[in-house]
Amino acid sequence: MRARLLALVVLLLLAGCSSGSGPGDGPVTLRFQSLAWQEESVTAVRELVAQWNATHADVKVEYVQGGWDSVHDQLLTSFEGGEAPDIIHDASDDLADFAYGGYLADLTDLLPAGLKSDIPRRSWETTTFGGRVYGVPFLQEPRVLVANATWLRRSGVRIPTPGHPWSWPEFRQITRRLSGDGKYGVAWPLKEPVSATLNLSLSAGGRLFHRDADGDVTVRFEAGDAVVPRTVHDQIGADRSASPTTLGSGGSDILPGFFGGRYAMVPLGFSYRQQIVQQAPEGFRWHVLPAPAGADGPAQGVSPQTLSVAADSRHKKAAVAFLAFLLRPENMVRLALGDWMLPTGTQALADPALHTAKDDWAVGTALAAYLRPAPAQSVRGYPEWKDKVATPAFQEYYSGAIGLDELRERLEKDGNLVLARYQR
Amino acid sequence: MRTRPAARVAQYTALLAYLVFLLLPFLWLLSVAFKPPRELGSLHPTWIPKDPTLANFRQAFDEQPLLHAAFTSLLAASSAAVIAVALATPMAYVMARRRTRLARAASGWVVVSQAFPFVLVIIPLFLVLKKLRLIDSVPGLVTVYVVWSLPFALWMLVGHVRTVPVELEEAAAIDGAGRLRTLVSVTAPLLAPGIVATALFAFVTAWNEFFFALVLLKTPEKQTLPVVLTHFIGAEGAADLGPLAAAAFLATLPSLAVFALIQRRITGGRLAGAVKS
Amino acid sequence: MTSATERSRPARPARPATGAGAPRGVAGHGAWFLVLPALVPILVLSVGPLLYGILLAFTDAQSGRTAPTRWTGVLNFSDLLRDTLFWESFRIGLLWAVTVTALQFLLALGLALLLDQDLRLRRTARALAIVPWAMPEVVVGVMWRLVYNPDAGILNETLHDLGLGDGRDWLSGLATALPAVIVVGVWAGMPQTTVTLLAGLQNTPPELHEAAAVDGAGAWRRFRAVTWPALRPIALAITALDFIWNFNSFALVYVLTNGGPGGRTRLPMLFAYEEAFRYGQFGYAAAMGCVMVAVVSVFLALFLVGRIRGGDGG
Repeated sequence: MRARLLALVVLLLLAGCSSGSGPGDGPVTLRFQSLAWQEESVTAVRELVAQWNATHADVKVEYVQGGWDSVHDQLLTSFEGGEAPDIIHDASDDLADFAYGGYLADLTDLLPAGLKSDIPRRSWETTTFGGRVYGVPFLQEPRVLVANATWLRRSGVRIPTPGHPWSWPEFRQITRRLSGDGKYGVAWPLKEPVSATLNLSLSAGGRLFHRDADGDVTVRFEAGDAVVPRTVHDQIGADRSASPTTLGSGGSDILPGFFGGRYAMVPLGFSYRQQIVQQAPEGFRWHVLPAPAGADGPAQGVSPQTLSVAADSRHKKAAVAFLAFLLRPENMVRLALGDWMLPTGTQALADPALHTAKDDWAVGTALAAYLRPAPAQSVRGYPEWKDKVATPAFQEYYSGAIGLDELRERLEKDGNLVLARYQR
Repeated sequence: MRTRPAARVAQYTALLAYLVFLLLPFLWLLSVAFKPPRELGSLHPTWIPKDPTLANFRQAFDEQPLLHAAFTSLLAASSAAVIAVALATPMAYVMARRRTRLARAASGWVVVSQAFPFVLVIIPLFLVLKKLRLIDSVPGLVTVYVVWSLPFALWMLVGHVRTVPVELEEAAAIDGAGRLRTLVSVTAPLLAPGIVATALFAFVTAWNEFFFALVLLKTPEKQTLPVVLTHFIGAEGAADLGPLAAAAFLATLPSLAVFALIQRRITGGRLAGAVKS
Repeated sequence: MTSATERSRPARPARPATGAGAPRGVAGHGAWFLVLPALVPILVLSVGPLLYGILLAFTDAQSGRTAPTRWTGVLNFSDLLRDTLFWESFRIGLLWAVTVTALQFLLALGLALLLDQDLRLRRTARALAIVPWAMPEVVVGVMWRLVYNPDAGILNETLHDLGLGDGRDWLSGLATALPAVIVVGVWAGMPQTTVTLLAGLQNTPPELHEAAAVDGAGAWRRFRAVTWPALRPIALAITALDFIWNFNSFALVYVLTNGGPGGRTRLPMLFAYEEAFRYGQFGYAAAMGCVMVAVVSVFLALFLVGRIRGGDGG
């Protein structure tokens, strides 16, 4: 009986093993998990995959649809279980733990020289961990202010340009001028407050993460880090120039209020223009304005979207060849247009289609030069720090539940405890 | 016993209040599932869709691999139910009929297993299944479901076995029937409805299960229905309400059907009977 | 579920053990043969992982293949002691479990008492009342998201119609999120408790009620004197189980709020899940699991001992 049971268990296990995909003798099949989700970008990616498959009989690419909301959990488990897709779409601030965990292939020597030189160094920095490159940064977006054009013109405030943006104090003063009567100068969608705060803080010299001689990272919340949080906090609390009800909202949630004339400006990613174009009522006029600048100019942090190859992939060369195809300048332009974002490649960025006045493409493109690697880049444990410590701390600070000292205390004390666990 | 009319009215009112609380959310789900997008976007939603449509259902099937997920769920839940009951029935019989140390240890384990947070079991189980390369596979999930539903199946079955009078078995034994024959021809038929009910219950539990499926199945095309449902809620919590409601409603139908089948057994107090035993 | 069996026995008159009189022949030597099919999976896939899990809590096991796992002694536990976020989550978990269990019990008792009355339509009502039990937890979460939705939800619309203000974003508000989720927890768990209590009620002999009624006892006195003593063991059992289940609940908050806003609904189970399967901190998450088991066991032991003593005294 015991023997028979054992046989049963073994059978069950075999059944499980054999259901995994085995290497075939036929053409190589690569699984490409894409996170594209807007209709236009899904179409663009699918078309490129079809184009590749039509011209490469020996390497088939299979499109797998992933989702941004659960990508980190999903990839972690897939890597652990040895079931990860060959080609992985993600964002650079999510890669550190996977890169250090040994799940991603080192692409340093695999990438073609053309692609390497096309993408600027500061973009490569976002995917370089311990001197090795674990992904190709390909799309990025600046955070911008989308403004109600009619309202702003009527109020007579100075309209900022990428070359001459507002300063943070100026921004605060202007939102105060625009507010009143149940209307607000700005509505911060703060459901995900951390990357917005940290990336914008770069303009004021905020670094937050400090690396010591041993390479260990600690959190220190200094004067430069406080500029942006304090501005937002005061707009919501003291000035009543920012709507207090949008703290739990995502970017899409605040659009109805923006269209309805309740908010003069909404700070959003550059790609939100697509939703605005789709949903804005007829006759609604809007502008893209650069985000306010601080002591360090209009610099801001960015975590580009990335494409990586799994360390477990048996066909790394083929996978990189597909990446090189997907990221050819003309294809990068298509992907960028599909996602309403900016390409990292210099050739793609020079494409006239991305410099039109229509939908303010030109404003975003002009900001590309100021994008820097996000401060959180390459910090192990950043995702956990962000979700567990920083998100609640910033949300409570912005809602007025805690003060700046408590915010600093939580970011540093609780935060360093988390980071320490990853750096033993 | 007489009840005063005033008290009666109060009782009916209370009952009505309960039913409203318990059922209205479900009716709202139905209402949303049949509303066109324009109505969902309106600031003053109504209970009855003004312009009912099946478009949400079509869109739900277009957006996510619902049929495939339903098939995976069906496969996982029915295998788990059948295997769990097959393994548990003999043991339940022993536990009900004999008081060996083993039987007592088993009842003890049934109790303890209720109190353990799954997370303490799932992490090591995940690491073990990883070594066996059973992550991201339906057999792996079924294995977990079987082990997870065993305590409950055992406990329900023990209750059922106890309802089969020992005297019948004794009589058969006196008549010279062998041990196995007694079990097969006397006990089994009387136990059959209980076994079926237990299996159905195990089926619904596995069909509805989310946590293990979320942890173990990661490839989108291998996921079960509850996990696929969560994909309708996109980044930043923005959800396409219509298709989400339509898909959620469809996912509930099998559970409702099975519950309707075993409803009498459940309300008939089998559960509490066993608690009380 | 048999916890009830074990615990309730002392309070009840001793009964002959069911198995004592069974013929040795039927399940005698074959016992092992009958038990093994269930026992092997239990040992291999349940008890085994459990012990493995406890061991893991003393290691630095992490996702990733670059660093080997090492023993770290009680480091995880000392980290955990200082981890204010975990304890905050734990506090929320206890608050959630106690509130939901208590409300579930009170509401379920009321409904069970009603369904035990000789009311018209009570069969239909009984069948309808278990609908929430049949629904997948994910669907329950989805459904209540639709109810709570700030713009398209029926709750705000109803409040608006009743002139009770414009409503709010229930699941995103720092103050409203936990209460909103608690309502869902009560809703989802009520039917099972109701059914269990109802069965308990139906096992109390009606003659007792009638006798008490003849004595002129009011409804409350009848409940105290007749119904409650008979119902107590079941009530204790289902409350204890509800508490454990609620403390371990996961899917509802995962779907409804994903732990937000600001961690206000991050139940310990969700916390540990994220620690293990989002951040890959297996050892640390296992330590959390151990602490959760320990605290829940202590809590439960105190509750049951207290209740059983209290019952014996009164």
